[in-house]
Amino acid sequence: MRIRVETSSGMPITRQIAAQIRAQCASGALQPGERLPSVRALAAELAVNQNTILRVYERLTAEGLLQRRHGDGTFVADRVPSGQMRAQRELLSQQIARVAELARTLGIEPEELHQLLQDTLDKGLR
Amino acid sequence: MMSEPAIELQGIVKSYGMKKVLRGLNLTVPTGSVLGLLGTNGSGKTTLIKCALGLIRPEHGTARLLGEGAWNLSAAAKARIGYVPQVVNLYPWMRVRHLIDYTAAFYPHWNHDLVARFTKEWDIPRDDLLGPLSVGQLQKVAILLALGHDPDVLILDEPAASLDPLARRQFLQLIIELAEPGRRTVLFSTHITSDLERVADSVAILKDGRIAWHGLIEDLKEQTHVNLEESFVEMHHG
Repeated sequence: MRIRVETSSGMPITRQIAAQIRAQCASGALQPGERLPSVRALAAELAVNQNTILRVYERLTAEGLLQRRHGDGTFVADRVPSGQMRAQRELLSQQIARVAELARTLGIEPEELHQLLQDTLDKGLR
Repeated sequence: MMSEPAIELQGIVKSYGMKKVLRGLNLTVPTGSVLGLLGTNGSGKTTLIKCALGLIRPEHGTARLLGEGAWNLSAAAKARIGYVPQVVNLYPWMRVRHLIDYTAAFYPHWNHDLVARFTKEWDIPRDDLLGPLSVGQLQKVAILLALGHDPDVLILDEPAASLDPLARRQFLQLIIELAEPGRRTVLFSTHITSDLERVADSVAILKDGRIAWHGLIEDLKEQTHVNLEESFVEMHHG
């Protein structure tokens, strides 16, 4: 699990980490049923307080995105809550609308935009 | 188990001559939390820490540590405390390894493995005399000596001030590893806000002799929408 923490940001660390886990669940980088690192391990890896990681896991568990199995660890829920999926799609649609608007402003043709998106996706898959 | 707060300061007043440094300060640090104490130079962070430890006596107010009066701390309570002062004074004629062995001899449960591991990871020159060591190296030794007996309360006065970026990161990781949620209480003062947000779960800001803000860092950020450093600067201009 790749997560970056930016202390210079105005966004709390807890929110930064939660957003990245949500995004990875939505993209499939984290698969349903997959085990997440232990609180201790992730805290050590990111060099942040264990209580901070614990709060993130608790929050995402309350959202239904993660499941905490007692004594066994934290897992991505088998079924992603539908509200979560809708929210993710919504967020993505907003970003795409922004990119489309920017492309129009810059005079980039739809075909070219498709190609750029395709190139970016290909790069991400390598 | 609901336990007493590890550190409890109530109505602390402390002056040096005509200068009043702490003006009725209140601060409670629950057991198991990691609190970062922020304040400008001369705001009284060291005075607060020394009052909490019972090293100086306030004119008014009460300081309690591990459920006891800080000024009359029992030997048992003292054995559960680790303290790294801002200015480290260690016997210059001793070698590092001798000082470690000498300190370890005072405690029945010295964590030799932990100390050995970090002596190695931090490149602490075990065979060198303490005298010629740099300020940063002395600070590392002092941190290890404060941790070796596995204290329940760890109090550090600007521990990272003299450390290089690599040593600082290693130090943060050590504190994070040691600060198991709910067990060990850590209080540290610092200027380095980015470190504070990583290692601490809450922050207290000392201003005009009192605690101007105390709470979760995430709550402060949700209120202000800026990073900790900006909040700190704004608080002193506003």
